Amino acid sequence: MPGRDRSWICVALFLCGALSIASAGTSDEPHPLLADFRRPAAVPVIKTNPTTPEKVALGQMLFFDPRLSGSGIIACATCHNPALAWSDALPKGIGHMGNRLRRHTPTILNVAYGEPYFWDGRAATLEDQAKGPLTSEAEMNMPAEVAVKRILSIPGYVTAFAYAFPGKPVSVDTIAAAIASYERTVVSNSAPFDKWVAGDEGAVSASAKRGFSLFNGKANCAACHSGWRMTDDGFHDIGITGTDRGRAAIAPGIVQLEYAFKTPTLRNINQRAPYMHDGSLATLSAVIDHYDSGFVSRPSLDTQMHQLSLTPDEKADLLAFLDTLTSVDSPAVVPQLPQ
Amino acid sequence: MNPVTLSEIVMNRASLLCLVTAVLLAGAVRAAAPLTVTQKGLQFSVADLSVSKGQIVVFVNDDRTAHNITVTGEGLALNGGLQQPGAEFKVPFAKPGTYQVSCGIHPKMKLSVTVK
Repeated sequence: MPGRDRSWICVALFLCGALSIASAGTSDEPHPLLADFRRPAAVPVIKTNPTTPEKVALGQMLFFDPRLSGSGIIACATCHNPALAWSDALPKGIGHMGNRLRRHTPTILNVAYGEPYFWDGRAATLEDQAKGPLTSEAEMNMPAEVAVKRILSIPGYVTAFAYAFPGKPVSVDTIAAAIASYERTVVSNSAPFDKWVAGDEGAVSASAKRGFSLFNGKANCAACHSGWRMTDDGFHDIGITGTDRGRAAIAPGIVQLEYAFKTPTLRNINQRAPYMHDGSLATLSAVIDHYDSGFVSRPSLDTQMHQLSLTPDEKADLLAFLDTLTSVDSPAVVPQLPQ
Repeated sequence: MNPVTLSEIVMNRASLLCLVTAVLLAGAVRAAAPLTVTQKGLQFSVADLSVSKGQIVVFVNDDRTAHNITVTGEGLALNGGLQQPGAEFKVPFAKPGTYQVSCGIHPKMKLSVTVK
């Protein structure tokens, strides 16, 4: 091919490339921040407690078994009810003999990704978390040694533990390891927002798209509600009134951790009313109003909190965006419990 | 080409020794210089760090959210308080051993520092 012809082809290819880049700058271009919210490909693997089908099956039975409580009537699933987005729809949880707990029940949805655990982060691992409510006098009121005796009195469990933990005795550690293994399988399905992230521009409404821009911009939600689960797994004082010191009781010495609680995931959030660590806000509209102007100012208030002055339309757009975070998940299977 | 004399070989070796010593000293000086670790995307820029005794590590908050530097280990319990976006926090590691660095606000942020 003569050199002049080759140069014309090069110029033509350059122009085609330039036109392609130019067309990417139109309104059809994906929102530049969507990539920050892409779901991970796999559930985290825990080296100290690798997930196996046997552990998951055992943990599923334990999770739904009220015999694992001192009263015999409270299971993990009593508060983490799969029919209520793995929470309980109550402002604050109810424990042993009707004892009203001091905080709202957090969901276990996508909990595999969310260390540390509890509203104050006092459990570093999901295994440690599982032991907490089990042995707490206020919650399931099941001392570790009593739990082991009860498990050993049920032959079906003895067999299931032998399969799940070959060579290991039944203990509160293996009970917690099995429950944690099951909980790590509770993962939300793809929501309309995920389809938008993947490139389907028609997956969410124009209002929801404006809400996403507000979420990352004027409303500043993404300062803490970041990543695909919409949480930084961090601790912040967002100005809820009350005397609960939250994270500061666990990690003293940092002013900003006074009244600070763990940022909750926003996945399936429209199914998990009421809201906040104390369940004090009944609706998502009330939550947005709180962030807009309803918080109390104090030295520990997170520096990202400020008056937003959102318009009614902007609040509606934020709600439309939050609705896109809800997935249609497969119904949880309630297992036949061993005898 | 002129033959190389014994005295020249000795001189060359002495020069080489001086050069190697200078390079090693320069390396030692470089190793003692402050090391920078950034905090971005709710992560430290490294998961593990090895430093010399007395070396300073400068933590730079490149996130748009506030962080905290908490250092524990070898009898040390250092709490750096609130670290605003863009702010630096310097930690001198004076005693050999292993230290854990974390963010009190975002406990998933962890860094192990070995001081030799």
